[in-house]
Amino acid sequence: MKKYQLGEFEEVVMLTVGVLYGEAYGVSIKKEIESRLKRGVSVGALQTALRRLEDKGYLKSHEGEATEERAGRPKKYFTITAYGKKAMEYTRSTREELWNAIPKVALKVVTGFRLPVADNLQLETGNNE
Amino acid sequence: MKEVPPYLPLRFFRWFCHPKLRDSIEGDLMEMYEETKATKGKTKADTKFILDVLLLFRPGIIRPAEGHQQLNNYGMLKNYLTISWRSLLKQKMYSFIKIGGFAIGVAACLLIALFIKDELSYDKHYTNHKQLYRALGVITENGDIKKGVAFPAPMASAIKEVFPEILNAGRYNNSELFGAGAQEVRAADAEDNAYDEGFVYFDQSLIDMFQLKFVHGNPQKALSQPGAIVITKRKADKYFPNQDPVGKALVVNNKADKPYTIGGVIEDFKSTSHLQFDFLIGMEGLEFWNGEQKTWGASNYATYFLLEEGTDAKSFEAKVSSEVIEKYFIPGMISGGQSETEVRKFFKDKQAHLELQRVDDIHLFSESVADNLSYGDIRIVWLFGGVALFILLIAAINFINLSTAKSANRAKEVGLRKVVGSLRGNIINQFLSESVMFSVLSFVLGLAIAVVMLQYFNSISGKTIFIPWGEWWFAPSVLGLSIVVGIIAGIYPSFYLSSFKPIQVLKGTLTQGAKSSPLRSTLVIFQFTISIILLIGTMVIQKQMNFILNKKIGFDKEQVLLLQGTGTLGTQVGAFANELREAPQVVEVTTGDYLPVRGSKRNGNGFWNEGRKNTDPAVSSQFWRVDPYYVNTLGLKIVEGRDFNRDIASDSSAIIINQNMAKELGGNMLGKRITNYAGLWTVIGVVEDFHYESLREDIRPVGLALGTEASVLAVKLKAGDMSESIQAITTVWDKFSPHQPIRYSFLDDRYAAMYNDVQRMGKIFTSFSILAIVVACLGLFALSAFMVEQRSKEISVRLVLGASVNSVFQLLTWDFLRLVLISIVIAAPISWYMMSRWLEDYAYRTDIGWDVFVISGITSVLIALITISFQSIKAAVMSPVKGLRSE
Repeated sequence: MKKYQLGEFEEVVMLTVGVLYGEAYGVSIKKEIESRLKRGVSVGALQTALRRLEDKGYLKSHEGEATEERAGRPKKYFTITAYGKKAMEYTRSTREELWNAIPKVALKVVTGFRLPVADNLQLETGNNE
Repeated sequence: MKEVPPYLPLRFFRWFCHPKLRDSIEGDLMEMYEETKATKGKTKADTKFILDVLLLFRPGIIRPAEGHQQLNNYGMLKNYLTISWRSLLKQKMYSFIKIGGFAIGVAACLLIALFIKDELSYDKHYTNHKQLYRALGVITENGDIKKGVAFPAPMASAIKEVFPEILNAGRYNNSELFGAGAQEVRAADAEDNAYDEGFVYFDQSLIDMFQLKFVHGNPQKALSQPGAIVITKRKADKYFPNQDPVGKALVVNNKADKPYTIGGVIEDFKSTSHLQFDFLIGMEGLEFWNGEQKTWGASNYATYFLLEEGTDAKSFEAKVSSEVIEKYFIPGMISGGQSETEVRKFFKDKQAHLELQRVDDIHLFSESVADNLSYGDIRIVWLFGGVALFILLIAAINFINLSTAKSANRAKEVGLRKVVGSLRGNIINQFLSESVMFSVLSFVLGLAIAVVMLQYFNSISGKTIFIPWGEWWFAPSVLGLSIVVGIIAGIYPSFYLSSFKPIQVLKGTLTQGAKSSPLRSTLVIFQFTISIILLIGTMVIQKQMNFILNKKIGFDKEQVLLLQGTGTLGTQVGAFANELREAPQVVEVTTGDYLPVRGSKRNGNGFWNEGRKNTDPAVSSQFWRVDPYYVNTLGLKIVEGRDFNRDIASDSSAIIINQNMAKELGGNMLGKRITNYAGLWTVIGVVEDFHYESLREDIRPVGLALGTEASVLAVKLKAGDMSESIQAITTVWDKFSPHQPIRYSFLDDRYAAMYNDVQRMGKIFTSFSILAIVVACLGLFALSAFMVEQRSKEISVRLVLGASVNSVFQLLTWDFLRLVLISIVIAAPISWYMMSRWLEDYAYRTDIGWDVFVISGITSVLIALITISFQSIKAAVMSPVKGLRSE
C-alpha cells in the first residue's frame, strides 16, 4: 500500500515537529534533531523536507511573529495535520508488524550473542494522545 | 548596529529562492547567523552562512524557471481546455459544424497553397536561374501587345560577340516545319518504330548554360559532333534498356541511312521546368537550307543568354534591343527585298523591340507569348489564392457567428467567473484558448481531408502535388498556422463574451444573441456573396465551354479520324489513301499536315496582288499545301468559285483563299492572280472563314494550294459503327506498315483538347463553389437551428394564440432569406465585371446574359431555403407545450 509515503528523514522531521508541539519552526526543528539524534542537519535538507511534507498535506504552516534577531522576518510554524498523524501511525504500525514478524531466534542468530533483551522484545502498542 | 551576514550570498539566496519560502527561511538563516556569531565569532558565522546558502540551492527550494505565477496559469489553462472540451461535447451539432466547416476550409487552403508553391517553384532548380534570360520579340499590333520567342539563327552568336556582359548564348528550335516535335523512332538494331514526342534542335551551349545533369556521356561534348543527339533517362530506358546508350544509333522516321548518334543521356526534365523535351538533336554542322544559319530573314530559334552576375537586365535589354535592330534586323530585312523606309516604318509603327525575360519568370509571366510550350498563369495563381482565402474566411465566419450566437449559453459561466475574480483578460484568454483548441482540431481533420482529396485535386489541376510530410518546415508551420488562425478567429467572440456584465448575466436579463445582430447578418451576407460569385463564375465558364463546343466553326469536325505517322510510308501514301477510299465506311481521305486544330503545322507568308509586291504592304497569311480532297473531307464551305479538280492541269497553280484573305487583298478576288515567295497563283475559289486556331484568336487569312506534304491523313467516316470503321482502317494500315502500330485520334477530340484549360478551370470553379456553398450552408443551418431554439417560447405562444404553421414558417425563414437576397444583389455586379474580364480573352465569346444571374439567384435561394426550412418546419409543427412547459 502506497497510501502514506514517509521517508526516514521525513519521519524524523514529523516526529520532531510533534515533539516541539507548537514551537516547531526552521531553527528549532534543526536544533532539536541535531541535539537528539546527534547528527548535522543542513538548512537546505530540512527546508526541502518541510516543503515536501507540506505539499503532501502532512504538515501545515502559519506565519508567526517577526523578531529582531530574525531581521524582521516572520517565523514559519509547522503543525501536524490529521492526515499527517495518520501517515505517522501508518508508518509506525507497518514497522511494528515487521518487528513482530521477525522470529525471536533470528535475532539471536544474527547477533551471535545471547541477547536477553531480545527475548522480551515488546514494543508498546497503542499511541493514544 | 547589528552586523549583517555577507551581502552577496544573501542576494544570491533571495534571487533563487522560491518567493513563498523566502521570508521564513531567510529569518531562520538570520537567527542562526546571529547565534553562531555570538558563540563562535563572525568569520565562522559567515562561512556557515555561505555554506547554508549553497546547501539551500536545491530543487525543492529554487523557484520554478517560469516564476511561480505562471504555475497557476498553467492550471487555469488546463481548466479552460477541460471546459472547452465539455462544451464541445455538450453541443455536438454546433461543434461538428464549427470544426467540420473549418476543416473543409483548411483542406482547400492547404491544397491550394501547395499548388501555388508548385507554380512558384518553376525553373528555380537551374543553378543559374537568376542570370539566365530568354529573348522576347515584342510588337504592338492594333493596340495588342504580341510577344514571340523565335529569332534568326545568327542572333545568339552576334549578340554574344558584341556584348561582354553576355557570358554565353544558346538556341533551340522546336518548330515542326524543321522536323522537331513528334516522330517515329527506333534504336538502329530494332525493327518496330515507336511514336515519340519531344524532339528539338538544341545548342551544346544551351546544355552548358542550363547545366543539365548527365547520367551518361560527357556534358561538355555531348552535342559537339554532327548528327549527335542527347536523350533523357526515361527514353534511354525505353529504347536501350539496361545499357549505356552513348555511341549507339537512333533511327528517326525510318531514315536508316542517316541515324543519330547518342552523345549523352540527361536526367528527365523536372515537371517544374519550362523546357520539356526528350530528344535534343545537336546543331553542329546543321543547316536546313543553304545559308540558313546566316540569314536574318527567317526567325525560328528561341534564344537564351547567360548574363554576367549583377547586370541590370532592364537597361541592358534596351541597349541590346536598339543595337541588334539597327545593326542586324534592318539590314537583314532590306537585303530580303524590302525598302528601307518600309522597314523603318514597320519598326516604328509596331514599336518592335527586344526584351529579356528571366527564365524563372517564364512559367507565370508568359501571357501573350506565342510559343509551343505550355505555361501557367500568374492570374490563376492569384485567383486560386483568393478563392482559398475566401473559403477559409467563410469557414472562419461560421466559427465567429456560432460562437457569438451561442454566447447566451456561456453567459452564466462568464458571469460566475467574473464574480469569483476573473479579470476581463482572463476571460479573453479562456475563449482564445478555446478557439485555438477548435482550430487545432480543425487542422488535424483538414489535413486528413486534404490527404483524401489529393488525388482528385491533382486530376483537376493537372499537377502531381504531394503533401510534404517529411519537410522540416511542414509540421511547425501547420501547427503555427493553426494557432494563429485560431487566435484570429477567436478574437471577436472572446472580446464579445468577455464584455458581459456579471450582474446582468446572473440576474438572467441578458438576451443578447437571441435577435439577429447586424454583425452576424453582415457576415452571412458576405458568405453568400462569395458563394454566389463563385456560382455565377462557374455558370459563365460552362456557358463559354458550350459555346466553344457548339459554335459553327466553318468546318465539320464530326466523324473525322486523323491517322498520324504516315510520313514513314514515303511514296506509298497515295496508294494507301486510294485503298482507304475503297473501304465502305470511308467517305473521303485527304493527306495534309495543315489541319484546323492546334498542334498541326502552321507557317507564315506574305501575299500581294499580282505586280504590287514592291508597293503594297504584305497580307500576312497561312499558305497550306493540301491535296484535292481537303475541302471535301473537312467539309469547308465554298462560297465563291470551285474546289480543286484533279483533271484540270492548271490547278497546280490555283489557290483557294478564305473570306478574310479575300477581304484583306481588296475583295472580289475570284479569278484574280496573287503572288508570294513561291510564285504566282490564280484564285479559283473562296471558302467561308473557318476557325483553325483557338477561339481566343481571330481568324487570319489562309490560302490553300495543291502540294504534297503528309505525315497526317484525315479520314472522313460514314456515321455508324465506329469500331468497325477503325477495324477496317487498321487492316489497310497493317498491310502498308507492319512495323509501326497504328496511331489515330479524332478531330473533334483534338478540337475539344484545345480547350482543356477552360474545362479544367470549369471543374475547379465547380469544386470551389460547391465547397463554398456547403460551408456557408452549414453555417446557415446551425444559425437557423440556434434561432429556432432561442425563439421556441415565442413560437409556442404564437402557435397557442392561433398562428398557422405557414405564418410561423414565414416568420422564421424570412429573416435569413432576406440576407441571401441582399447577397445576390451584391454578387451580381461583381461577378458580372469579373467574368466580362475573363471573357475578354476570347475573340469569340458568349454573352453573359441575364439567365445566368436568374438561375444562380434562384439556385442559391433554393439551397438556402432548404437549409433553413429544415429547422423552421420543425419549429412550426412542434407541439407548443414543449416550448412552454418549463415555465
